[in-house]
Amino acid sequence: MRRIFTLTNRNIKEILRDPLSLIFMVALPLFMEILFYFLFHGLTSQFEMKYLAPGIVVFSQAFLTLFTGLLLSTDKNTSFLTRLYVSGTKSYEFIFGYALSVLPIAAAQSILFFLVGGIIDASIFGISMLFAIILSSFFTSLFFIACGILFGSICNEKSIGGISSIVIVGQSVLSGMWFPVEGLSGAMVAFMKVLPFRNATTLIQNTLNGINSGFDDFIYPLIIVLIYTVLVFITAILVFRNKMKEK
Amino acid sequence: MAAIKINNLKKEYKDVVAVNDLNLEIKENELFSLLGVNGAGKTTTIKMLSTLVKPTSGDAFIYGNSIISDDEEVKKLIDISMQETAIARKLTVEENIEFYAKLSGQTKEETGKSKRYVYENFGLDAVAKKQASKLSGGWQRKLSIALALVSKPKVLFLDEPTLGLDVIARRELWNTIRKLKSEMTIILTTHYMEEAEALSDRIGIMKEGKLLFVGTKEELFIKTDKNNVEEAFIEIVAGESVNA
Repeated sequence: MRRIFTLTNRNIKEILRDPLSLIFMVALPLFMEILFYFLFHGLTSQFEMKYLAPGIVVFSQAFLTLFTGLLLSTDKNTSFLTRLYVSGTKSYEFIFGYALSVLPIAAAQSILFFLVGGIIDASIFGISMLFAIILSSFFTSLFFIACGILFGSICNEKSIGGISSIVIVGQSVLSGMWFPVEGLSGAMVAFMKVLPFRNATTLIQNTLNGINSGFDDFIYPLIIVLIYTVLVFITAILVFRNKMKEK
Repeated sequence: MAAIKINNLKKEYKDVVAVNDLNLEIKENELFSLLGVNGAGKTTTIKMLSTLVKPTSGDAFIYGNSIISDDEEVKKLIDISMQETAIARKLTVEENIEFYAKLSGQTKEETGKSKRYVYENFGLDAVAKKQASKLSGGWQRKLSIALALVSKPKVLFLDEPTLGLDVIARRELWNTIRKLKSEMTIILTTHYMEEAEALSDRIGIMKEGKLLFVGTKEELFIKTDKNNVEEAFIEIVAGESVNA
C-alpha cells in the first residue's frame, strides 16, 4: 500500500502541475457549461441544466484518458517506470497508483460542474445530485481512466494525443449531449446504445433527475458502462504487464 | 569478495543472440566498464543483471542471489540509471528524492539523511526547490543518477551516464562517480573511451554478444601494444582476438 500511495501522490502532482491539464479538464468544460446554458437553454431541452451538467461532467472525464495516458506514456518512454520496476514496484501497484491518482481529480470535476450547475439553476440541487456525483466520480470515470492506462501502455507521448482524441470525440459526438438523439436514424441510435459514451451520459443524467426505476433508464446503461470498463481495464492490465516484461 | 558472478549468461531474441555465453566476476566496490559498439550486448547484459530481462540460459548472482530465482532479493541490493533521464519532471528536486526514499520504505529521518547525502555528493541543494523539468540537461542527468543512490544500493548500474552531456557537465559527473567508487560496486556502460579510461578499475570489451577482453587498462595496453583505450578498443574489436 505504501508504494501505491507514494505513486498516487506523485501522479496527482504531475497531472495538476501541468497547466494544460487544468485548462482541458476544468476551464474548458466550465466555460462550455456556462456558455451553452446561457446561449441555448431556452431553445431546446438538451441545454437545460439538468441534462447539460451531467453531460459536461462525463465530457470532462474524457480528458482523464488523455492526461492519464500522457503521464503513463511519458513515464514509460523516459525509463521512469523501468527504474521503479527495478526498485521492486509491482505491476498492480503501478495500475492502482495511476488509477487512484485520477479518481480525486474526477471527483473534483464532478463536484465543481454540478455545483456550478446548481448555482445557475438551483432546481438540480438535491439528494439525487449527491448520487450523481458519487456515480460519476467513482464509476463512469473508471472507464476513461482505464482507456488512459491502456493507451498510455501502448503509445508514446507523441501519439497519445491522437489516440485519446478518439475517446474525447466519441464522448462529444456519440453521447448525444449536444443534439437530440430522437432526430437521428435508427441505426445511429442503435450504434450509440452499444457504446459506452451515450450510456455514461444517460446514466448520470437519469441519476440526477431521479429517473431510475426502469431497466432502460438505469440498469442497461449501468451494465454497458460496466462491461466496457471491465473489458478495457483487463486489457490495460494485460498490455501493461506485457510491456513491463519487454523492458 | 565477488559482488557479481556471471555464469554462461545468454540472451536470444528470435534469431539474434544479444549476449552469448557470458562469464565474469566483478569484485565488491569495483568500477567495471563495459565497452562495445552499438548492438554489442552491453545494455542487454545490464538489463539481465538488474532483473529487467530474463536470460535465455545461464545465471548470474548478485551477492549470492540468483537474478532468476531470487530476483526480489536482487532488487533490494541494486539500482539503475538508464540512458534516458528518469525523473519525475513536475516534482521539485527535493520532492523527487523524497518520492524515491518513500518508495524504498525509508522513515522521515532516513529520508532526511538521503537528502543530505545526495545534496553533498551531487551539489543538488543549490536547485532543491526547482522543478526538475526546469533544470538544464546536466542537472537533470545528475538528479537521475542521484536518485539511483537514494535506495543505498550495493550495486549500481549506470547505462551511458554521460550520454549527450557537454564536456563540463561530463567532467563534473566523472568526479561524482569517482567519489562513489569506494562505497559500492558500479557497472558502467559507455561509448566514451576516455570515460572508461578515467574511471574504471577494470574494462570489459564486448562485440556481438561476446566478451572479447577483460582486464585493467594497463593489461589492455600491453595486450594491444597501444597507449590509450580508444586505440586498444579498435584493435580488439576490429581484430576480434578473443581472450575472455
